[in-house]
Amino acid sequence: MTKHVIEIENLVKRYKELVALDHLNLTVEEGEVFGLLGPNGSGKTTAISCILALLQFDKGSVKVFGKEMQPDSYDSKKQIGVVLQNVAVFEELTVQENIDYFCGLYIRDKEERKRCVEEAIVFSGLEDFRRFYPRKLSGGLLRRLNIACGIAHKPKLIILDEPTVAVDPQSRNRILEGIQKLNQEGATIIYTSHYMEEVEQICTRIAILDKGRCVAMGTKEELKAMIKTGEKIHIEVWELKAEQLEDIRRLHHVYQVDYREGMLEIRCSGGKHNLIHILDYMTRQEISFGRVYAELPTLNDVFLEITGKELRDSAE
Amino acid sequence: MFFRLYLYSIRQTTRQKLIMFWSLIFPIILGTLFRAAFGEFLNEEVIFHQIPVAYVAEEGASPAFAETLKFLEEDSELVEVIASDSGEAKKLLKEEKVEGIYYSRESGTQESGNITLTVTKQGMNQSILSSILEQYQRVFRTMHQISRENPAGIKEAAQVINQQCRYLKEGTISDTPKNAMTDYFYALIAMNCLMGVSMGLQIAVGFKANLSDLAARRVVSGTSRLEMILPDLLAKITVQFLCTVFAVCYLMFALKISLGDKFGFVLLTTLVGSIVGIFMGFFIGAVGTYRESLKEGVCICSMMLSSFLAGLMVGNMYRFLENHAPIVNRINPASLIVKALYSLNIYEGYDRYAQCMASLLVIAAVLGTGAFAMIRRERYASI
Repeated sequence: MTKHVIEIENLVKRYKELVALDHLNLTVEEGEVFGLLGPNGSGKTTAISCILALLQFDKGSVKVFGKEMQPDSYDSKKQIGVVLQNVAVFEELTVQENIDYFCGLYIRDKEERKRCVEEAIVFSGLEDFRRFYPRKLSGGLLRRLNIACGIAHKPKLIILDEPTVAVDPQSRNRILEGIQKLNQEGATIIYTSHYMEEVEQICTRIAILDKGRCVAMGTKEELKAMIKTGEKIHIEVWELKAEQLEDIRRLHHVYQVDYREGMLEIRCSGGKHNLIHILDYMTRQEISFGRVYAELPTLNDVFLEITGKELRDSAE
Repeated sequence: MFFRLYLYSIRQTTRQKLIMFWSLIFPIILGTLFRAAFGEFLNEEVIFHQIPVAYVAEEGASPAFAETLKFLEEDSELVEVIASDSGEAKKLLKEEKVEGIYYSRESGTQESGNITLTVTKQGMNQSILSSILEQYQRVFRTMHQISRENPAGIKEAAQVINQQCRYLKEGTISDTPKNAMTDYFYALIAMNCLMGVSMGLQIAVGFKANLSDLAARRVVSGTSRLEMILPDLLAKITVQFLCTVFAVCYLMFALKISLGDKFGFVLLTTLVGSIVGIFMGFFIGAVGTYRESLKEGVCICSMMLSSFLAGLMVGNMYRFLENHAPIVNRINPASLIVKALYSLNIYEGYDRYAQCMASLLVIAAVLGTGAFAMIRRERYASI
């Protein structure tokens, strides 16, 4: 039987007039990497803060490991690892001291703690920087330290709130690989991000938030199946007449055609061999074309179709 | 866990250059500047000499004042009276061999006689001579009035006046040399103790998730806030106390400032003072959801105001407040620290000292309890 690690029911959180969470319902199951995807200001961090009993909320309930979450729910808290959006470490303590400090808030046994700290240092690739102070670390290394401090005590539930913001690609890949490894070792992960590629890469189930509401939830395949777009075809075309554009639009499975700055974008709703049909028409019409590529819909397309706006362009 | 968190907090605090500058270096710089500014004043003990004064009694002058002067010369050893004629007295005054001249003339209406004081400059000795005259005239007038209106009560009135005299002699004073300038150093030590407000503020901010990310990380951990706050408090008190002890030792042994011979009690005072300073900052940090910079400002203002009211910048502030707003001296931590140190240095007994320490401990308890009550199990409306 699947165990619910987190159950959120009808959660409402208001900041005066602004509704940050609007009757949010979520369940996170044991062993999954659950992605909370949404633009800045969509309510991801607010939801996390409510889960951790940091924020008061107006309505609803939050259960973690089957128990109502309260500020003094120390039994539940001991099983949670948190990596907050901003780096939260002591500037005056070294890398090793920081990890040891935070690990010690969960593990009292000295030997066990020592082992966990060492493993966290290796896990985050900070072996060469253990005596460095945080101010001497690069942005990527700092993020890794932030993660190491949150996961050193080997929690059952790890909450990562946008851990890759302002991180170089090398560190980002390392962080994402690390998260997958933690999941393989048995941890349940909640991962919030507005980078859809990351969520798509590591999450087994995803909830899309917009204006505090969960607008869609499921696996990435389920989410993509919710939308009309099955395939996007891009063709570089130097010249195209209006009647030719209309002909392409009338092709089978094609439901949307855009022609801008020499690039033709065709959206198809399912079907097979769409690209062949389109190229066949263009050859017959003697339309010159350059680069051609097709892609499957992304989570951004899902977000776009559901909310009517781009995930990337949404701002707080 | 307690000892580990305590050690980490000590490390974290002592590695903060700014905090260490204000708590450790700044009082030493200020103490050195005070020492340089006061210079030789600090080496001078207040040794009292009898004040030489000329007494010119004209014909028909009241003998009562002459008797009073005789008493002050022989019993109290307050003045040294040189009886002379007017010309000689003026000559002595001009040559600064006497500090003033009392003229006692006949007066038909004034029973106390027509007595005047002539001085050529203003100073402490002249003030004392003036006070003697005022006091004499006041007592004489009072007694005269009582003898006229209620002759039966004259004996009782005389007893009351004698009683007042005994009150003045009751206090026992220690053998430690006194110097008015030492008060500035007491105030400096008080300020040093209260420098702990910055560390206290850090403790509170370190557990307010709406003020710092670090606090959020600690608050969501599996350890209760009390378990984390206590070692932090103890560590900060330790650091602040050691900084103050260092400053006290510097004042006593390097600058040779005399703070009395009760070194142990001086240290106890700085310990309690440091606790109050830390708890003051802890309390200010715990109040409300105001941003950290604002709280920092409030902390610094509180510390400076408290030190100002204790006489760090203006020497007679304590006495001024005692006359006009004594409650301030009872609740102002810096004033209580100054008074505690002063009591140690001046009085043989410990009653006054114990009162000050009790007041400081009550203040610390109120601030600490209040702060912890505000932070405990706190959830936020916004982060």
